[in-house]
Amino acid sequence: MTYGTTVPYPAPHPGPQDSHPAGTAPARTGSEAAGDLPRLLPVHGAVPVDLRSHLSRYGAPPYFGAPGKLIPVLKAAGLTGRGGAAFPVHRKLEAVAEARTRPIVIGNGAEGEPASDKDKSLLWISPHLILDGLQLAAEAVGSQAVALYVHRNARLQERLRAAIAERAAAGVDVAAVEIFDAPPRFLAGEESALASRISGDPAMPRFKPPRVFERGVVGRPTLVHNVETLAHIALIARYGPAWFRAVGTPGEPGSMLCTLHQADGRRDVVETGLGTPLRDLLRLDGTQAVLSGGYHGAWVPTADAARMTLSNADLRAAGAFVGAGVLVALPARCCGIAETARVARYLALESAGQCGPCFNGLPRIAAALDEVASPRPDPRAVTDIIRWAGLVEGRGACHHPDGTTRFVRSALHVFRDEIRNHSAGRCVDPARQPFLPLPADAALDASDWS
Amino acid sequence: MNGITQSTALWYASRATGVVSLLLLTGVVLLGVLVNRQGRLPGLPRFVVTGLHRNLSLLGVVFVAIHVITAVLDPYVTIQITAIVVPFTSSYKPLWLGLGAISLDLVLALILTSLARARISRRFWRSLHWLSYAAWVSALVHSLFSSTDLQGGLLLYLTIACTLAVLAAVIWRVTHARREIPRAGRAAATLDMMSPRDDPRAPASPRDRAGRRAPENVR
Repeated sequence: MTYGTTVPYPAPHPGPQDSHPAGTAPARTGSEAAGDLPRLLPVHGAVPVDLRSHLSRYGAPPYFGAPGKLIPVLKAAGLTGRGGAAFPVHRKLEAVAEARTRPIVIGNGAEGEPASDKDKSLLWISPHLILDGLQLAAEAVGSQAVALYVHRNARLQERLRAAIAERAAAGVDVAAVEIFDAPPRFLAGEESALASRISGDPAMPRFKPPRVFERGVVGRPTLVHNVETLAHIALIARYGPAWFRAVGTPGEPGSMLCTLHQADGRRDVVETGLGTPLRDLLRLDGTQAVLSGGYHGAWVPTADAARMTLSNADLRAAGAFVGAGVLVALPARCCGIAETARVARYLALESAGQCGPCFNGLPRIAAALDEVASPRPDPRAVTDIIRWAGLVEGRGACHHPDGTTRFVRSALHVFRDEIRNHSAGRCVDPARQPFLPLPADAALDASDWS
Repeated sequence: MNGITQSTALWYASRATGVVSLLLLTGVVLLGVLVNRQGRLPGLPRFVVTGLHRNLSLLGVVFVAIHVITAVLDPYVTIQITAIVVPFTSSYKPLWLGLGAISLDLVLALILTSLARARISRRFWRSLHWLSYAAWVSALVHSLFSSTDLQGGLLLYLTIACTLAVLAAVIWRVTHARREIPRAGRAAATLDMMSPRDDPRAPASPRDRAGRRAPENVR
C-alpha cells in the first residue's frame, strides 16, 4: 500500500468565508487553526495514528446527545460526499433519519478504483477519524447498527479490529462496529453492491428503485458514506462549518484527499483544498493529458488542465469532474489510445454480468478500442465505438456503462491526433508500455464477487 | 358466406383484428419465454428478441384497440363501451366477452408497468409480468367462444397450433436452465468471442493479432 506524504500548502484559495449561524457548533481554535492543512492526515509523515495521539490532537468525539443535531451543522458546512458522486451529505442523513425502521450505517472503504489509494491510506493512517465519523453519523440518524466495509487485507482488518476494541474499552464509541469484507472488484464499492454484499449476497449492484437509503442492507434504510466523508464529518462536528469552509472555494468548500499519479511514475496521496490549481498538484511538463475522476472520469488535454483548478466548476466545463480525487498525468511518450484500450478491457471484465447492454456492449467497445490502438485500424472501429456507447448508456442497473463510455468518449476526443497517426500506420509508443495502474486478476466466476 | 357489406363491415373488422390480436399475443408470449431463457432467433442479432417482444406487444395493443372499438360500434349486437374494461358487464355474451375484457386489462397493466420500468421496483414489475400467461389463456378462451370462427376450418388449426406452441414454450421454460455462464464470466465470454486468446488475463499486444503488421515507425 502506498500512502505517500502530505504536501503542506500555502494560503487557501481566496474567497469570502461563509459565516455560520451562531450556536450551531462549538468554535475551537488551538491545534486545528482554520485554513491549515493537513486536517485528515498527520502533520508530520505518514505514521499511523493511535487512539492516544488521536485524542490528544482532536479530543473526544463531540456527541450531540440527540439524533439529528449534527445535520444542520453539516448543511452549513456544505460537505459533499468524497466517494466520487459529491452528493450533499446532510441530505443523505436527512433521508435516512426520516426512515420509519431503524437504519444501518456503513462506512465504505472498498475503493474499487485501481488508481485510487486515498481510502486505503486513510484507513491505515487515521482510522480513528473514520470511526469517530461513523459514531457521529449513527447518532445523527438514530442507528445502533454500524459497520465498516473494507478490503480483504488481513493486516488492515486486524488493525481496525484492534482500534475498535480499544475505543470500546475506553468508552469512546456508543455503537459496536462490525467489519465486512469487500471483494477486490471495481463495482464492489457501489452502494447497492455494498448493500448486497453485507446482506450476504455477491457484491453486485441492484436495480434502483428502491435506493439504499430506503431499502438497503437486509431491507433496512442504509446510510452509506465514503470513509473520507466520515473523517470530514468527525472534524466538522468538532470545529464547526466556518472552520471547514476556511479551505476550498465558497461553492465547493473544504479539503479532500487526492491520489496523484505523476508522469515519472510517482504515486502519492495528498490532502489539498478544493480549488487548488491542477498545475500545483501535478507536474505537467512532458505530459499530453490529465485523467481526472479515475476510470469513470475523463481525459483533459494538458493545455486545458494547466489553466484549471481542482473544482467541478472548472472540470465539468471540460467534460470531467473531481470525483474521488484521482489525477493522472499521462506522459507524452505514451499512446493515450492504447492506455484507454487497456483500461476499457479491464472495465469490461469488471461488468457484473447482470445487464445485457453492459456485458455485451463493453467488451465490444473494448475490442474496438484495441483495434483503434493497433496500426492501420479498421476505419469503422471508431464509429462502432460511438454507436455502441450510445446504446449502452443508461441501460444498466448501475452507472458502470455510463462511466465507461464517458471515459472512452473523452479519449476519442482528446487523443484524436494519435488516432489519425494510427490510421497512417504510426504510433507514439509502438511497444505499448503500460502506464495506467490495473490489478492483475480479472473476475471470472461468481466466487470472485463474494 | 355473404361478402362484406356496409352493414357487416364492422363485424368482419372486429373478427379479423381479433384473430390477428390472438396471433400477436401468442407471438409475444413465445418471445417472452425466449427472452427469459436468453435464447436467440437463428441468424438474428441478440437485441432482436427483446426488441421484437416489445414491439409486437405494442402492435398487439393497436389491433386489440381496433378489435374492441369496432365490436362496440357494430350495431348488430349491443356491447356497452364500459364492457371493454369491466368484465362480464356486456349485454351480448357476457361470459366470453368478459374474458376478453380481463385479458385486455391484464395486457394494459403489463404494457403500462413496462413503460414505467425505470420508475418502479424491478421486483414489482417482474411479479406483475407473470400475469402475461393469464392474459394469454383468457384471450384464447375468449377467442374460441365469442364467435364460431375459431371452432372450425383453418382458424381452428391455427388456434391449436398457437396453443401447442405456448404449451411447448412453457414446458421448455420450466425444464431448461438458462445458459449457465455465471454472471461474473459473461463479459469475459463476450470478450473472448471478439478476440480469442488462450489466457483472457493476458494484456493485449500488437503481436497477438494474427496477420497484423507492426507499426511502420518500428523497424
